[in-house]
Amino acid sequence: MEARFDGTAGVSRVPAIADAEPGHGGSLLWWRLASIALLCGAWEVAGRIPINLAFPPFSDRIAAFWEMLSDGSLVKAYFSTLQPLVIGVLASAVIGVSAGIAMGLRKSVEWVGAPAFIVLQAAPVAALIPMITFVYGIGLTAKTLAVCILALPVIALNSYKAVSNVNPSLVAMCRSFLGSGPQQIWKIIIPDASPVIFAGLRLGISAGFVGVILAELLITPTGVGDLITYHRSVANYAHMYAVIASIIVFSAMTLAVLQRVETTLFRPEKRGE
Amino acid sequence: MFKQVRSITRRCSMVGMAAAILGGVSAGGITGASAADPVRVAFGDIATVETLNFLIALERAKARGVDVQVTFFKSEDVAAQAVVGGQADIGVGTPYALLQKVKAPIRMFFQMSTLRFYPIVNTEYYKSWKDLDGQEVAVHSRGSGTEAIMKLMAQRNGITYSNISYIPGSEVRAGALLQGNVKASIVDAAGHRMLMEKAPGKFTVLPVEGVNATDEALYANTEFLAKNAASIDILVEELLKTWREINAKPASIAELRKQYNLLADLPADLEPEVVPYYEESVAAATFPSNGGSEVSVKDDFAFYALAGQLQGDPASLQVTDFWTFEPLNRALGKLGRQ
Repeated sequence: MEARFDGTAGVSRVPAIADAEPGHGGSLLWWRLASIALLCGAWEVAGRIPINLAFPPFSDRIAAFWEMLSDGSLVKAYFSTLQPLVIGVLASAVIGVSAGIAMGLRKSVEWVGAPAFIVLQAAPVAALIPMITFVYGIGLTAKTLAVCILALPVIALNSYKAVSNVNPSLVAMCRSFLGSGPQQIWKIIIPDASPVIFAGLRLGISAGFVGVILAELLITPTGVGDLITYHRSVANYAHMYAVIASIIVFSAMTLAVLQRVETTLFRPEKRGE
Repeated sequence: MFKQVRSITRRCSMVGMAAAILGGVSAGGITGASAADPVRVAFGDIATVETLNFLIALERAKARGVDVQVTFFKSEDVAAQAVVGGQADIGVGTPYALLQKVKAPIRMFFQMSTLRFYPIVNTEYYKSWKDLDGQEVAVHSRGSGTEAIMKLMAQRNGITYSNISYIPGSEVRAGALLQGNVKASIVDAAGHRMLMEKAPGKFTVLPVEGVNATDEALYANTEFLAKNAASIDILVEELLKTWREINAKPASIAELRKQYNLLADLPADLEPEVVPYYEESVAAATFPSNGGSEVSVKDDFAFYALAGQLQGDPASLQVTDFWTFEPLNRALGKLGRQ
């Protein structure tokens, strides 16, 4: 768990390097773009050699992406995939943050809850998915549960660690000002823990994406999972890779937006940077 | 400043790593493409009762000196990728789409089985194909043989489904039918038998005529076929002999299984299913005695075009772009046609 803690801190440290020298933000952007261009270029070359007959060039994937976007299949697939994802992530966020805070505040809850979440986090989830289908069938419930199984432990354990590591000086200050219990939680503990809770939410959403795609590939092929399965089965490899790349980009963009929301709402020291 | 240099260095090294990975993939792809001894067979499923005949033929080929190694993959697509990538020599499946779109130098060379599926409906709701007009049916996946059969039968009966839902796994669809979650679907022989045994009278099989498309065929790289003609000939001969033996006497499968000690860990409750499965399959002419022909390939073109696996007019497709009959003709020359 400590390693995860360090990991989350590491995530927020990356932009700090750039932010320390705002004058170089432009050049950093160019480096990023150059990195992407180099990867796409290498992809194109590898596809044209080709390194494998089923590895189409990058340009074919772009064409396939536009084709799926224009015929509506991609939008339809995302609409389908987002249903279990959004429900699962929202449920995991509410339950996970509440459970994490409760575990951080009360030893009895920690004693009951923490082992369960740690076991869930360590479990190879792909192996659990068949079990979910036996109990909950093959519909939306099973897919939502797959999202929850992946997202919930990360969110809960981050919230738990965030609350249990709140600055004791702030808690002592609250007591010295005769702050009540609820005031201590709402005005001191949760605000101080919010950056790490948000980091947990970001990781939870990322895990949720993994869960929903796993569910769509392993339970019933719907949405993005269906597009991947179908295009692979009919050897439309450019389309298959385009769908895979699109879900990676979509996931990364979602996390970036969430990070921006976090900065705006909870990180006043970073606003304007 | 140091921070930025470190940042840039780190980014450069990450880009370098990405290039190295791509380079590594490239090198692996090229070196892995060479044919090698032993003969590596990629099977896109686990070993089950349905694959016993194939396993017997492989054992017999081994007895004649062909070192066959079978790897069981999760799906036919993955097995096909192994053959395309050179990690396997012979694949099992019907990679028509792969051959047409990727133009891989791969050809099918032995038709192992034809598609045998059972469209099943819950008699409480439907009794004939006409009753399925405007109703929902469940099939394996998009572009699958099960979907193609259901579409073909809808076309022939002049009906349209309100929706086709996708439920992978015949046993899953059979379970859903049994539980009442699905009212019309298509299952394999095992699923059909299970439904008839567990709920007699509750389900009926809708008639399917004139569907003889290939379910599983053997395919390999043309270079491999040329270089390993002797091994391939032995394999094809043993396949033909085994198929003919089972077609003549389906019950012999039980003795052959014991003789070669195959599927030794088969659960005791599944053992009684072995012989009935082969009797049923033989009665339905599932295992061709002559390993396929140009006529059967043309049937495949029509069927797989309907399934969405093949593009273009089926009549314009060339058999030689997908199949080679050289090994089969050599074996048939030796064993004779039936």
